[in-house]
Amino acid sequence: MEILVFGQLTDVLQTSRLSWPEVADTDTLRQQLLEAYPALAQHSFLVAVNQQMISSNTTLVPGAEVALLPPFSGG
Amino acid sequence: MSERKPKNIFKQGAIDASFIGDSIAKHASNTRIGGHSIFLGQVRADEINGKAVVAIEYTAYEEMALQKMFEIREAIFAKYPLTCMHVYHSLGTVKAGEICLFVFTSSAHRKPAIDACTECVERIKAELPVWGKEILEGEDYQWKQNI
Repeated sequence: MEILVFGQLTDVLQTSRLSWPEVADTDTLRQQLLEAYPALAQHSFLVAVNQQMISSNTTLVPGAEVALLPPFSGG
Repeated sequence: MSERKPKNIFKQGAIDASFIGDSIAKHASNTRIGGHSIFLGQVRADEINGKAVVAIEYTAYEEMALQKMFEIREAIFAKYPLTCMHVYHSLGTVKAGEICLFVFTSSAHRKPAIDACTECVERIKAELPVWGKEILEGEDYQWKQNI
């Protein structure tokens, strides 16, 4: 799967597009990312699936558009 | 009348004063309008650890931001009797002193235009997936935080 990365998280992950093995749900994904990138723990971020912000664990079907969103700072 | 479909709000680079002036002039033909309200966001040269902000580099999750802006627009039109509303946000580099956000609401009377403009600006800052990277003197930077 491809994960879109934005804002300050592009510094932590060193990319704006991350290729990642398919995972079952967003909690598992978050856990795997934190293991691979311990520095992520210092950043708050939300996960969007198919451009919808999710607030609880969400099943990921293959092909879902997943994005990691740090706090917004537009305007 | 408003268009009921997502439209692009993003402009590459700063928003020119002439673009804003032209936008105001275009409303002369709509004589039902009695009041406009305009918010202009300008890049501020904050000092961070003794270094001045020289520019902000904006990036966005564009598709999601446009969909969210559409939802905000619909909600605001449902709440206030507006004639029209226009929103432009910069992407890419905007230098200190330049305009990065232009929100323009118009109504028959002043109050809906003013209140809708304020609400729109607050919602843009809180809800649109847009990020600003503050470029400091000497190649340093920090990520902007909205207060």
